[in-house]
Amino acid sequence: MLRHVWFIAVFAAAPLAAQKSGPQGDTWENIAKLPDFSGLWEVTRGGGPRGGGEPPAFTPEYAAKLAEFQAATQRGEIEDGPTANCVPNGMPAIMTQPYPIEILFTPGKVTILIEAYAQWRQIFTDGRVHPEDPDLTFNGHSTGHWEGDTLVVDTVGFTTDTSLGNQGQRHSEKMRIVERFRLAEPDRLEVVTTISDPEALTKPFTRTAAYGRHRDWNLAEYVCQQNNRNFTTDDGKSGIDLSFEEK
Amino acid sequence: MMRRTTNRPRSLRHFTMVLGSVVGMLALAAWTSRAEAHHSFSVFDMQTNKDLEGEVIEFQWTNPHTFLWINVTNADGSKTRWGLEGMSPNFLGRRGWTKNTFEPGDKVKVVVWPLKSGEPGGTLQKATFEDGTQVVNFGGSGGG
Repeated sequence: MLRHVWFIAVFAAAPLAAQKSGPQGDTWENIAKLPDFSGLWEVTRGGGPRGGGEPPAFTPEYAAKLAEFQAATQRGEIEDGPTANCVPNGMPAIMTQPYPIEILFTPGKVTILIEAYAQWRQIFTDGRVHPEDPDLTFNGHSTGHWEGDTLVVDTVGFTTDTSLGNQGQRHSEKMRIVERFRLAEPDRLEVVTTISDPEALTKPFTRTAAYGRHRDWNLAEYVCQQNNRNFTTDDGKSGIDLSFEEK
Repeated sequence: MMRRTTNRPRSLRHFTMVLGSVVGMLALAAWTSRAEAHHSFSVFDMQTNKDLEGEVIEFQWTNPHTFLWINVTNADGSKTRWGLEGMSPNFLGRRGWTKNTFEPGDKVKVVVWPLKSGEPGGTLQKATFEDGTQVVNFGGSGGG
């Protein structure tokens, strides 16, 4: 009985328990002791929740949502998703777009600049915990700590407007994402992402994405509304606007 | 929109683009299995490689997609303006393209995935200039 309680306690606390080790980047001096994540990183393989690995194990309710989506797609009722209208993917898919990211360290905070849809994430490494009742956002509320050479990021507070990457794969407000960032090789960043959701998933699932370093690249502007001719309507139809003004 | 800023010969201008394209092609395999970034390709007929020949009206170096507008002369002599979607300037710019890759008046042969709707539009796959140089857009995978 005692052993059982111990197991539950550890399991429940696992995402929160910071197994801190080594420098935490709390001062500029300590930031210099962290692994060198500088430069731009572009996904080379993996691809977040969609790329390889065991498929997510959905609860009956969320499996039904997926089946419903697939059937509607088959019937031609859904041709595209919100990103066609320039709505950002949100987590986790925003991390594996075919555009680079940049990871910045400042005392107590890691900032990830994401070129796609001009997004950013801030990861508080100053020891704070998540708000008790976080606002629900596309990229969530992130806290992080270092376990030696690995940055561990815990993120909660997601709007259910987003999917797990595949539009039909939905999640609840209780989704939690844990990411482990590590230099697998000098110029290869590996991010192991574990997604759990007590309402949508019967067990957590894990995906690994790899990023290549491009020290000579710069982030470029990405204003999706600049000339977005793709669209998807409320009834799921999509198309391209070919209107043109002769100069 | 800014126009040509250099008077380098076309062939020289294209050399770096072609080089970039070759490097990019090697990376293509890595992209094809990945999710589309911005939109699905359900509106395009990806089974059909349509050849078009025309004169560039304008090249829009814009997000989320570049757009190449060309005037195509039809068999009966009439002209149709085609709008061809390409990858983003961010993606292509890192692979040797510039805002001056196409300029008004350039004569190009292009291969496109046409729109299923029959409207004069599609996804640009590759373009060949009069001097034979070619630029490749990497199809529709990644960056879309």
